[in-house]
Amino acid sequence: MTTHAPPETSHAAVAAVDLVKVYGSGDTAVRALDGVSVGFGRAEFTAIMGSSGSGKSTLMHCLAGLDTATSGRVLLGGTQLTGQSDRTLTRVRRERIGFVFQSFNLLPQLTAAQNITLPLDLAGRQPDAELLAHLVRVLGLGDRLNHRPSELSGGQQQRVALARALVARPEVVFADEPTGNLDSRSGAEVLTILRDSVRDLGQTVVMVTHDPIAAAYADRVVLLADGRLAGEIDKPNQVSVTDALRDLAARR
Amino acid sequence: MRATVLRTQTTAAARRPGRLILTGLAILVASFVVFGTVLVQQITERTVRDNLSGTPAVTDLVIGSVDVQPPTVTDVRQVRAVPGVAEAVARVATGVSIGEGYLNLQSDPGTGPLTTVRVIEGSYPDQPGEIAITPRTAERLGLSVGTTTSGTGGELTTPAPLTVTGVVETSADAGYDAYAPDSAVIAWARLTTVERVDVRVAPGASTDAVRQRVTAAVAGQPIRSGAEVREAEAQAAAEQVGRLFILVGMFVSIAVVAAALVVTSTFRIVFAQRMRQLALLRAVGASRATLVGALTAEGALTGLVAGVVGVASALTLGYALPAILRATGHDVSSPGLPLAAAVAVVIGAVVITVLAVLAPALSAARVSPLEALRAASVTAGRRGIGVSRLVFGLLLAGGAVLAAVGTISQLPKPEQSDYDPSMPLLLLVGSGALAFFALVALGPLLVRPVLAVVGWPLRQLGPLGRMSVGGIGGTPRRAAAVSVVVALGVTLISGVVIGGASLQILTDREMALSAPSDFEVTSNGGTLPPAVVSRAEAADGALARVVPYRMVDDARLLRGADKLGDGESGYPTSDLDLAALPSTGDLDVAQGTLTDRGPGRIVLNSWVARDAGLRAGDTVTLAVATGTVDVRVAAVLPGDGPLHAGILADPGDLDRLGVPAAYTGLLADAAGAGEDGRTAGVRALRQAIGGSDGVGLAVLADERDRNDALVRTLVWVAVGLVSLTVLIAVVGVGSTTALSVVERVRESGLLRAIGLSRTGLRIMLTVESGLYGVIGAAIGLVLGIPYAWLAVETLGIEAPMTAPLLPLAGLFVVLVGLTALAGVLPARRASRVSPVVALGADN
Ligand SMILES: Nc1ncnc2c1ncn2[C@@H]1O[C@H](COP(=O)(O)OP(=O)(O)OP(=O)(O)O)[C@@H](O)[C@H]1O
Ligand SMILES: [Mg+2]
Repeated sequence: MTTHAPPETSHAAVAAVDLVKVYGSGDTAVRALDGVSVGFGRAEFTAIMGSSGSGKSTLMHCLAGLDTATSGRVLLGGTQLTGQSDRTLTRVRRERIGFVFQSFNLLPQLTAAQNITLPLDLAGRQPDAELLAHLVRVLGLGDRLNHRPSELSGGQQQRVALARALVARPEVVFADEPTGNLDSRSGAEVLTILRDSVRDLGQTVVMVTHDPIAAAYADRVVLLADGRLAGEIDKPNQVSVTDALRDLAARR
Repeated sequence: MRATVLRTQTTAAARRPGRLILTGLAILVASFVVFGTVLVQQITERTVRDNLSGTPAVTDLVIGSVDVQPPTVTDVRQVRAVPGVAEAVARVATGVSIGEGYLNLQSDPGTGPLTTVRVIEGSYPDQPGEIAITPRTAERLGLSVGTTTSGTGGELTTPAPLTVTGVVETSADAGYDAYAPDSAVIAWARLTTVERVDVRVAPGASTDAVRQRVTAAVAGQPIRSGAEVREAEAQAAAEQVGRLFILVGMFVSIAVVAAALVVTSTFRIVFAQRMRQLALLRAVGASRATLVGALTAEGALTGLVAGVVGVASALTLGYALPAILRATGHDVSSPGLPLAAAVAVVIGAVVITVLAVLAPALSAARVSPLEALRAASVTAGRRGIGVSRLVFGLLLAGGAVLAAVGTISQLPKPEQSDYDPSMPLLLLVGSGALAFFALVALGPLLVRPVLAVVGWPLRQLGPLGRMSVGGIGGTPRRAAAVSVVVALGVTLISGVVIGGASLQILTDREMALSAPSDFEVTSNGGTLPPAVVSRAEAADGALARVVPYRMVDDARLLRGADKLGDGESGYPTSDLDLAALPSTGDLDVAQGTLTDRGPGRIVLNSWVARDAGLRAGDTVTLAVATGTVDVRVAAVLPGDGPLHAGILADPGDLDRLGVPAAYTGLLADAAGAGEDGRTAGVRALRQAIGGSDGVGLAVLADERDRNDALVRTLVWVAVGLVSLTVLIAVVGVGSTTALSVVERVRESGLLRAIGLSRTGLRIMLTVESGLYGVIGAAIGLVLGIPYAWLAVETLGIEAPMTAPLLPLAGLFVVLVGLTALAGVLPARRASRVSPVVALGADN
C-alpha cells in the first residue's frame, strides 16, 4: 500500500493536486488538508474514508468549489477551480456538481418536487422529463412529490436530495455521509441507487463515509489520515475496508 | 433547574447581543418616540413661554382685565400721577376704516422698555392723527411714509385725517397693523376707555408701595403683577400646546401598539429558532413553566435594554437638537430632565415587551421534547391557525362588519340639518379597531390568497421570484405578523391622504364660493362708478381678469302669486358670469348641470332650493320690486353660491326685471404670480378706484392662501404623526428580515451550495422583504380606502368621495421600497457568509 498515489489528473473527472487547507492562523491554526493529491475517475464510485477530523469533509468541500483551498489546485474535468471568482464557482456548482449532505438537504418551504428541480430552476433549465420520471420511479418517490420535507421520513428526504443531485446530470455527485442518519435498509437503498447511477447513467460519485458496509458499494476507497492521503483500496469489500481502517488506527 | 434554564437562555441572548437589539428594536424605537414626544412637548412649551411676545418682561403692574369694566382714560391719567410710577402705558386697539381698507390701530409707546415695536423707517408718531404702520401694511394698502388719508374708527364717525409718519417692525405682521402712542390713539378715536394699563415702577421705588397707591388711585380696578400676567399668558399658551399633544399622544399610542405587535412577531421568530434547544431542555426535564419563565425573563431583559437605550437616545437628541438650532439662529429652548417620565417609559417598555413575549413564550414552551430529536431541516413554521384563534378572529371580523353597518345606517341623509356625527364616528373607530385585531388573528389565512394575487407577476419573473414568493408563502404566520403592522401604517396613511384630499376639495369649493378671485371691489350697497370698471379693465398688465357683476338683495321666488320659502327678506341674486373665472368655471352641482345656464334659467344654492322647495328642472317666477320674469332651475349647488349668492341669474333676465345696468362690484385676478403680482394688482385696482366714495377693495387671495396653508399643514402634521407607525412597521420588517436571515442561514447555505449566486441570494431575500411591504400595503389599502370614505361621509361635511390615485400609488411604491430597503442589509450579510460555514451553522 502506497502513501502517495500518483495523481491521475488526466482522465479524472475531478482531481486535487497538492491541496492544502489551513483553518485559522498562528497557534490555533489547523492543517485540515496537508498536501493531498488525488483523482476521481469518470463513471467511478469512490468512497473517502478516515477517522473523524481527518479532513474528509474539507476535501470534499474544496473539490466541489464550496470552499477555497489555502494552496494547491482543484481540477474539475480539466477546469481549474482554484482561484476562480465566486460567480464562476457558483455556476460550476449549479451546472456541473450535485450534492447530498448528511442532513439539511431540503428547503422546508418547498415540496419534494420543487426541491428536486431547484438547481435546474436556478439555472433556468427544464428538467429532462424522462430522467426525472426514471429517478422518481427508482427512488420510489412517486406518491411523495407534493409533500414538504417535514412530512417525509429521513430516508425519503435523503432520496429526494439524491434525485435533486442526479436530475441535473452533473459531472460529479458529492455525498457527505449520505447514509449517516439512516437505518441500514434505507441506507442500503440510497447506496444502491448511487451505485446504479454510476453503472446505468455513467455518473461520477464521490462519497464520504465511516461505514465499511457503505464503502463496499464503491469501486474504490481513498483513505485519509491527518489531512494526508493514507492509501487506497480498489474493488473494496467490507473485510478489506475494515482491515485497512484497523491498520490506519494502529499506525497512529 | 430553573436557574440553569434561565442561564442557558440569557447566555444565549448575551452571546448574540445583536439579536437582542434586533428583537427589541421596535420597542427601542417606540420608547424613543414616546420619550421624544415628552421632550418635544417640553421644548415646545418652554419655547412658547420663552418667546411669548405678550406683556413685556419689565412690566411691574397691570391694571384692568377682560372680566371687568375697562379702565377709563381718567384712570390712566391718575395712574400716571402716582408717585413712584416711572411709566404707565395704556394698551388699546381699535378698528379703523380708511379709503384703502381696514386698519387695526394699536397703542404703543414706540420707545422705552415697554414698547413692542421698532421703528425702521421715518419716525414714530406723537400727535393725534399720526400713525406708524408695518411693512406688509404699507405694501398691501399702498401707504408710505408721508401719505395722508382719512378714516373713521372708535367713537369717531366723521372721517378725520391720518398721516403715516413711520414704518415699524413687530413680532406679528398681519398686513393691516397701525401703531401710535396711547394718547394719540385715544385723542384721535375719541376713546373713553382702554383695555388695560401697564405700569413700570421707578427704579428704587417699592413695587408694593406703588401698588397700594395705584390701588387707591383707581378704585375698583383689578391689579396684577407683571409676572402674574406673564405667567397667565404662558399658561394659556402651554395649555394650547398641551391640547395639541393630547392629539399627538393618540398617534403615539397607535405606534406603541404597532411596536408591541412587531415585538411579538420577532420573539416568535427568535423562539422558533431555538425550538430544538428548548425541546432539548424539555427532554432533559425542564418543565413548561420553567421555560415560560425563562423566555419571559428574556423578554423583560430585552424590554429593559431597549427602553433604556431608547430613552437615552431621545434624551441625547432632545438636548442636541435645540442646541444646534440655537446655533443656527432659531429661538428654541432646551427641555428639562423629566426623570419620572423616563422611568415610566422604561417600565412601560418592560411591561409591553413582557406582554408581547407571553404569547410566543407560551406557544414555544408547548414544544414537544420529541422536537429535539427531529432534524432541523423539517421544522418549518406551522402554517394554519388554531380553531380558537379562527373563531376569535371571525368574531372580531363580524363585530367590525356590524359596527360598520351601524355606522352606515346612521349616516346623514341629504339635507339633514340636525346630524350629530359623534355616535357614528365612535362606531366607525370601534369597527376599525375590531377589523385591525381581526386582521391580526386571521392574518396567516390571508397571506396566501393575497400572495397568490400580488405574487403573480413575481412568479413569472423566474426561479428567484418563485422562491421569494414561496419563502413567504411557506411561513404565513411570520409573513402575516409583519405585514399586519405594515397594513396598519398604510391604513392610517391612506386614511389621512384621502381625508386630506376630501378636505382640499371641500376648501377649494368653499374658496371658489367665498374667494372666487384674487381681489374683490365692492360698492357697499351702492353701485360702482362706470369709470372704476373701465379703468380696471384697462389695467391688463396687472390684472388678468376683470369680471364685473350685479347683485340684488331682495329677489323673491313666486309660484303664481304665492311667495316660496319662509325667509322674511329676499334672496341675494347675482348675474356673475361663472364661466369667466377659473375657480367657478367647474363648480360641482348637486342637481342639474351648469351648462344649462342661459337666459330664462337660474342656478340656486342648496339653502334657497331647500327653503323654496325647488329642484332642478322646476319652473318658477323670479321677482324683484321692479318686475318679474319666469325662469327654470338649471342646477342646484351642493352648498353656498359664489359671493354667497342664493340665486345666479342671467344678466339679460336681470335687465328684464328692471335692475339698473350699473355694476355693484367686480372680481379680478392678479396677472403676475406671488406677492409681487398681488401687490401690482392691488395698486392697479386702487388706482382704478381712485377717490370713489364707499368703494372698498378686499384681497381675497390672502384669505385663500391662509386656508390653503392651513389645510396643507393639517395634512402634513397628520402624515407626520402617522409616519411614526410606519417607521415602526419598517423597523419591524427590517428586524424580521434580519432575524429570519439568521434563522435561515442553513437554508441560504444550501441554496448557495447548489448553485444560487451571491447576487441571486441577495435579490431573493430583498424581494422577500419587499413582499412583506406589498402584502401589507395591499391589505392596508383595501381596508384604508373604504374606511376613509366612510369616515369622510360620517363627518357629514358633504365632501365627495375621492381616491387620489397618484398619492395612493406613491404611498404603495414608497412603502414597498422602504420594506425592501429594510431587507437590503440583512440580505447582504446573508450572501457574504460562505456556504460551508452556513451549512455547518448550528441552529
Ligand atoms: N471552520 C473550521 N475552522 C477551524 N477548524 C476547522 C473548521 N472546519 C474543520 N476544521 C478542522 O479541520 C479538521 C478536518 O475537519 P473535517 O470536517 O474535514 O473532518 P472530517 O474528516 O469530515 O470529520 P468527521 O468524520 O468528523 O466529519 C478538523 O480537525 C476540524 O477540527
Ligand atoms: Mg465530515
